[in-house]
Amino acid sequence: MKLKKIGASILAMAMATSMLAGCGQSAPAETAADTQPAEQTEAPAAEASATEEAAPAEEAKNIEATEVTFWHAMNGNLESVLTEITDEFNNSNEYGIKVTLVNQGAYGDLQTKLQASAAADALPDLAQAYNNWLTPYLDKIVKLDDFVANDFDNWDDVVEAYRDECSEFGFIHAVPYNKSTYVLFYNKTMLDELGLSVPETWADVQADAKAVMDAKNIAFIGYDDLAGVVEASLHQNGANYVDASGALFNDEKGLETFTYLSDLYNNGYARLVGEDGYFSNVISNQQIASYVGSSAGVSYIKAEGWELGVAPLPGNVNKAANMAGTNIVMFAQDSNKQLAAWEYLKYITSTEAMTKWAVGTGYLPIRQSAYETAEYKAYMEENVCAAACYEQAKDFFFSPTFEASNDIRSTVPSTVEQLVYDKADAQTWLDTIVEAVNAQY
Amino acid sequence: MDKKSFKGYLYLLPSIIIMLAFTIYPLIRAIIMSFLGDYSIINHGYTSIGFENYKALFADPDFALSLRNTTIYVICVVPASIILSLIIAVLINSCTKTKAFFQTVYFLPYVTSVIAIGIVWRWMFNSNYGLINYFLGLFGIDPIPWLNRPEYAMPALIIFAIWKSMAFNILIFLAGLQTIPEDLYRAARIDSTPKLRVFTRITVPQLAPMIVYSSVIGMIGAFKVYNEVFSLFQGKAGPANKAMTIVYFIYDKFYNSYKYGVAAAGSVVLFIIILVMTQIQLRVTGEKKKK
Amino acid sequence: MSQKRKVGNVIATILKYAVLIFGAIFTILPFVWMISSSLKTPSELVQIPPSLFPETPQWVNYQEAWKAAPFARYFVNTLIVTLCTTCGVLVTTVLSAFAFSRLNFPGKKTVFSLFLATLMIPGEMLIITNYETIINLHWIDSYKAMIIPWISSAFYIYLLTRFFMQVPESLYLAAKVDKCSDFKYMIKIMVPMNKQAIFSIAILNIISSWNAFLWPLLVTNSQEMRVLSNGLVRFQTEAGSSTELIMAASCMLVMPIIIIYLFLRKYIIEGVTRSGLKG
Repeated sequence: MKLKKIGASILAMAMATSMLAGCGQSAPAETAADTQPAEQTEAPAAEASATEEAAPAEEAKNIEATEVTFWHAMNGNLESVLTEITDEFNNSNEYGIKVTLVNQGAYGDLQTKLQASAAADALPDLAQAYNNWLTPYLDKIVKLDDFVANDFDNWDDVVEAYRDECSEFGFIHAVPYNKSTYVLFYNKTMLDELGLSVPETWADVQADAKAVMDAKNIAFIGYDDLAGVVEASLHQNGANYVDASGALFNDEKGLETFTYLSDLYNNGYARLVGEDGYFSNVISNQQIASYVGSSAGVSYIKAEGWELGVAPLPGNVNKAANMAGTNIVMFAQDSNKQLAAWEYLKYITSTEAMTKWAVGTGYLPIRQSAYETAEYKAYMEENVCAAACYEQAKDFFFSPTFEASNDIRSTVPSTVEQLVYDKADAQTWLDTIVEAVNAQY
Repeated sequence: MDKKSFKGYLYLLPSIIIMLAFTIYPLIRAIIMSFLGDYSIINHGYTSIGFENYKALFADPDFALSLRNTTIYVICVVPASIILSLIIAVLINSCTKTKAFFQTVYFLPYVTSVIAIGIVWRWMFNSNYGLINYFLGLFGIDPIPWLNRPEYAMPALIIFAIWKSMAFNILIFLAGLQTIPEDLYRAARIDSTPKLRVFTRITVPQLAPMIVYSSVIGMIGAFKVYNEVFSLFQGKAGPANKAMTIVYFIYDKFYNSYKYGVAAAGSVVLFIIILVMTQIQLRVTGEKKKK
Repeated sequence: MSQKRKVGNVIATILKYAVLIFGAIFTILPFVWMISSSLKTPSELVQIPPSLFPETPQWVNYQEAWKAAPFARYFVNTLIVTLCTTCGVLVTTVLSAFAFSRLNFPGKKTVFSLFLATLMIPGEMLIITNYETIINLHWIDSYKAMIIPWISSAFYIYLLTRFFMQVPESLYLAAKVDKCSDFKYMIKIMVPMNKQAIFSIAILNIISSWNAFLWPLLVTNSQEMRVLSNGLVRFQTEAGSSTELIMAASCMLVMPIIIIYLFLRKYIIEGVTRSGLKG
């Protein structure tokens, strides 16, 4: 067998090709850390007939009939609602714009496909994306600042935290769309039976947890997203989490936060989800009294023989709630397509279409005005989850995106799991998590 | 080129073209990538040329863990699966009327989709009401939290993997058993040779090429274990990531951390490990006998 | 003596069936669980302790799963892709295995080792480059993109070469004396003699291309080109998944393969007489 020899020759070949490749390319391009996008994607008004389009908001625009592709990861009922709204746009817009929806599987599949397409220069005109997917190809995204400034009905109507999230790279890179938040789902029947009220503070959580443990010998609370709970708890205690330079919670407030969390786990008041996958399964068969998870997961809770309650996240010195869900980014290169895609984005985020989307899917409206429509108000009357989300809309925060943020997101949950298994004390929690976070830079 | 060698390559041509385009070319690109610091697949920029990625790789405790886990996995799964499959295949082959039935049954797990298999096995491993703990209970063994504790993550993964790889091995061995000339067995029957002796003296040596194949392919596959981890632990690498394997590590670095160079370096290291192991394995087993 | 032997034989047979049946139960249980889960209600699925069978079978799960995606179209696509890929694989595999096992040419061993070496690189690393290749060839959203990269497999070539090498060299030499061409010898002697191995390769390949998920998703965009396994993710979101629908869809996915398997088995395996050619 000559496997060894072949291995060696492949390596040699590779080195040779590497040199060739080095010659072919220009000097090493900007590094990924450099997040300032190139001026490759021009603002729309600067294109072609600049004078005519200077104030596009009022005058009739000149958009040629075109097709716009939109990659999304909305499945099941979510997809049917999105299709319905898109069909309405396709049939009603005056320019003959046709938006083609392309289902790219689940979020993970969409993320992979976007990454591959960025490498192959084959990105779609529009796509759903989380901010932390975008860092490797930030310079391929169309800056939306001019669109928003010239041709959007009231950006200030959009919930502030969403606006911040969509401009965290220093320019408006996306329009928020399918947004959700983490809420506290609880077994109302069980709490009523034990005479407990819904926890609003950390102290309430501890008191209720003790009562549930004494009476039922089950855990009181669980967290679907462990990285999320660490971040939210720090904010709730007035501490900071991370920024581009490192962990920011190595102090007294951080220690307090981890005292709270480690006590919950070490006393059996909180548990890990483990083999059950999602707490929606655990609460469905009444093995836990409450849990913190995405409002988008409410339909997976099967409340048979008990009543489901939904409340804002308990706070401590502050209230703070994680937001979740993707935004829509634009990659279209052609200026006509950009204008067409923008027409679509305006349409689906309009108060009317947004209300329809929110009522149909359970996602949160991105606009204040949509919350105030009679239709959505009626929906909140009936839907405890929507009401709880609205109540904490003022407390939303988002996870910052920077080079190490993805690694931090994937490191923290396994670190926390290990701490729970070890029944570690608060100081160990603090030291271990700080170390794990800082190791990612 | 003379006519004879021309003919050989003519037969190989279709395979060679496809492999050059879809395996060798991307492989070379991956190797190049592994020597470029901070390489971006998007704009092809990089900051340095050298062994930076390899240094980062070997300094990463997760990579060390993944090496350890993968080694344990290969050592447990490959031999166990082959021995069990061999026994089952020989037993099935000795049946007459029920052969087709058993052959089909033992093949069924292979056709089920990975997503569904993962869900089913999570149910089988469930600590409270899973089937595996139920069986262990029959022998007076306390329930084991298979998927809830880091220390059981690897055993659970290994059991799942043995089950999953058996269907393939049984299929290959049954095909191999068909090629053993009947007269060898007839002669043994006339001599009234004991069955165990027939098994070790006729069946195993005659099946040797298939056994070598299964162990080589099994080992290569086991070193590249990823889907099993992903489906059993719902996309994570087990509790506290304690069932991290090499390919899981590579995948995570590539698709989630965007550390393309480090991921490429990881796959080159994996490639070299497998190359060396296969080499050793072929030396130890069949190839030597052939000469 | 012979009495004792008979008793021993009976015991051996009982033991044999005990092992086979126990193994069969263990092997088939996940499969049974998949079918029974596909007929449960969501709350039955998480019930403690679980029931093996649903109280009333929820056939509506199948209706709902069927509605979630254009499965009929997906089915046709999957069939086309699977059949073409498998035919391609069989052709390239038989040709290459024959070359490696019977023909002599310089560099044979090196090429063979190189083929084997290609198995050792994790496929996850190759995907993005291959995707770029497909884009550059303008093959996106076509059957070609799903078929051609997969019509050659070192994995099967290696397997079939091993089987071909088992065939006594003397047969080949005899054929040479009879002026039988290499190609004719391959088709007339080698292929029929290794029917079972070729069948195994076909069925293994049918299954892997039937279940292929990520690659078809990457290289297609339109609903008209998607395949069955892409329909499975329709029931998963970031916040949970509808297990009963995934199970129903999985059952719909695997049933055709089982039918193909049984069908092929009947017509191919039963045609092979053990001693026929080997005499």
